[in-house]
Amino acid sequence: MSFELKMMLPALIVLAAISIVPFFYLIYMTLNKISLVGGTGISPQWIGLRNWARMFTDPDVGAGWITMVIFFVATVGLEMLLGIGIALLVHEMVWGRNVTLSILLIPMFVAPVIVGLLGRFLVNPTYGMYAWVLRTTHIFTGNILGGHVSAFVAVVLMDVWEWTPLIVLITLAGLVSVPDQVIEAGRVDGAGYWQRLRHIVGPSISGIVLVALLIRAMDALRYFDVIWQSTAGGPANATKIIPLRLYEVAFQFLDLGYAATIGIVMLALSIALATLFTGILRRRGLIG
Amino acid sequence: MNSAANRGRRIALYVAIVIILLWTVVPVAWMAISSLKNPADVLSRTPLLNFAPTISNYSGLFTGGNNLLSYIRSSVLTAGISTILATALGSLAGYGLARSNMRGKRHLAFWIITTRMVPIAAVILPLYIGFTYLHLINSIWALIVAYLSFNLPFAIWIMNAFFADLPPGLEEAARVDGASRMQTFYRIAVPLTAPGIVTTAILCLVFSWNDYAFAVTFSGPGSATLPVAASQLITQTGVNWGQLTAIGTVVALPMVIIGLAVRKYLVRGLTLGAVTGE
Repeated sequence: MSFELKMMLPALIVLAAISIVPFFYLIYMTLNKISLVGGTGISPQWIGLRNWARMFTDPDVGAGWITMVIFFVATVGLEMLLGIGIALLVHEMVWGRNVTLSILLIPMFVAPVIVGLLGRFLVNPTYGMYAWVLRTTHIFTGNILGGHVSAFVAVVLMDVWEWTPLIVLITLAGLVSVPDQVIEAGRVDGAGYWQRLRHIVGPSISGIVLVALLIRAMDALRYFDVIWQSTAGGPANATKIIPLRLYEVAFQFLDLGYAATIGIVMLALSIALATLFTGILRRRGLIG
Repeated sequence: MNSAANRGRRIALYVAIVIILLWTVVPVAWMAISSLKNPADVLSRTPLLNFAPTISNYSGLFTGGNNLLSYIRSSVLTAGISTILATALGSLAGYGLARSNMRGKRHLAFWIITTRMVPIAAVILPLYIGFTYLHLINSIWALIVAYLSFNLPFAIWIMNAFFADLPPGLEEAARVDGASRMQTFYRIAVPLTAPGIVTTAILCLVFSWNDYAFAVTFSGPGSATLPVAASQLITQTGVNWGQLTAIGTVVALPMVIIGLAVRKYLVRGLTLGAVTGE
C-alpha cells in the first residue's frame, strides 16, 4: 500500500462509517414505514415505494419546496448583491479598511440559533428595539412575526444579516487579486469607474464570485436554524421551508421513513451543487 | 480631476460604510447591552440606553436547576474533541490526498466534498437511528461523531489545499538527506502549514460550537450544549430575554474572537481552498 493511501486510510474509514453507511440506510428508510415510539425500539416495516408516491402528491411538501425556493432566491440573491456592493465600497476605502472588514465579519461567527433568537427579540411587538424604530417612524406598526409577508421578510433579513459578510469577504479577496496596473491602465485609457467595473474588474473576479455563490448556495441548503428559532415556520407555515417540514415529519409526526424520502431529494440537490463546485475547482486547477 | 467632486465622493463612501457598519453591529451590540439590564429594563417599551448595569442575568445562569456549567462543559467537550479528531485525521489525509497520484483521485475528492455539503436535515435521520441502536443518544459521543460528519471532510479538503501549496523542493531535499516520508511530513510539511492547521481547527470549532440541529436532536440532559440551553429559555410561560441575551453573548463572543484571529486565512478556509486570500 502506498504511503499516500496509508495517510488517508484512517480518515477514509471514519468518513465511510459516518457517511456511506448512513447514506445507504437513508435510501432503505425511504422504502419503509419507520415510526418512533417512545424512543425505545425502532422497527422498520417494508412498504415499497409508498413514501415516494405520497411525497409527489403531498401539498405540504410542495408548499415547503415553494417556500424554500422563494427563501433561497431572496436570501442568496440579496446576499450576493449586497455582498458584492459592499466589497466594492470597502475596496475603495483608503484608511480603516482592515478594521471595517473585521467588524463586518462578526455576524458570520454568531451561531445561527442565536441569530434567530436575537431577531425574534429585536422585532418583538412590545419591547423589540427594531419594532420600536419601525413603529415610531410609522414604517410598520403591526406584529412583525405575526404577518405572513412581514415574517418572511424578517427571516430573510436575519439570514442576509448573518451571511452577507461571507460574500463580502470572498469578493474582496477577488478584488484585491486584480493587479493595480491593469486598473491603472484602464484609467489611463480614459475608462470611468463603471466602465472599468464592467470591462476590467468584473471579468477578472467573475470566477471568484461564482465560487461565493456556490458556497453560499450549498450552505443555504444545509442550515435552517435561523427560521427554526425565530418563527418555527409560522405564522401558518408562511416560513416553513423544506428542512423544517422534514424535521417536523420526523420528530413531531414520528414518521422517519417519509422524512427520509424528503431528505433524499434535498441530498440530490446538494450533490448537484457540489458537482458544479468541483467543476469550477478543476477549472481553476485546484484539484486533479 | 475635480477635487471637490472627489471629496464629495469620499465622504459619501464613508457615510455608506458607517451605515453598513451600524446594520452589522447594532444587533449584537444590543444583545450585549440587554444582557446587562435588569428584567424590568429589558422589557421596557422604549429602548433604554440609560440604565443601571447589572450582572444578574449572567449570575442567574449559574444558579438554580439548569446550571449553565454543564452546558458549557458539553459544548467544550463535543466541539473540542471533534475538532481535535477532525484536524488530526484531516491533516494526515489531506497530505496523502495532496501528494497522491492514484487513479480515481478525482472521484475520491468529489466524494469527500459531497459529504461536507449534505443537508443537515437529511443526515440527522440515519444518524438518529444509528445512535438509538448504539445507545449513544444523550452521550457526548453522539455529537462528536455527528460533528465529525461535517468537520472531517472539511479538514481533509482544506488541508489538501494548504499542503498542495507547499513548494516540492523542500520535501525533496529532506528526502535526499535520508528522512522518511513520515519524518518529512511532520518535520517539514506540518510546521510550514501551521497557519493552515490552526485555521482548519478554528473553523471546525466554530462550526461545531454553533451547531443547534444535531445538538437538540441527539443530546439529553447529560450532553446538551449552549445553543440548546439558549433555546430552552423559551418556554410556554414566556421568555427570559435578559438571560437569553446573556447566553447569546457567551455563545457568540469566543467564536467572534477566535474567528477574527485567523482573518487572513478565512477566505481560504471558507471557500474550501478555492480562493486564496490577501
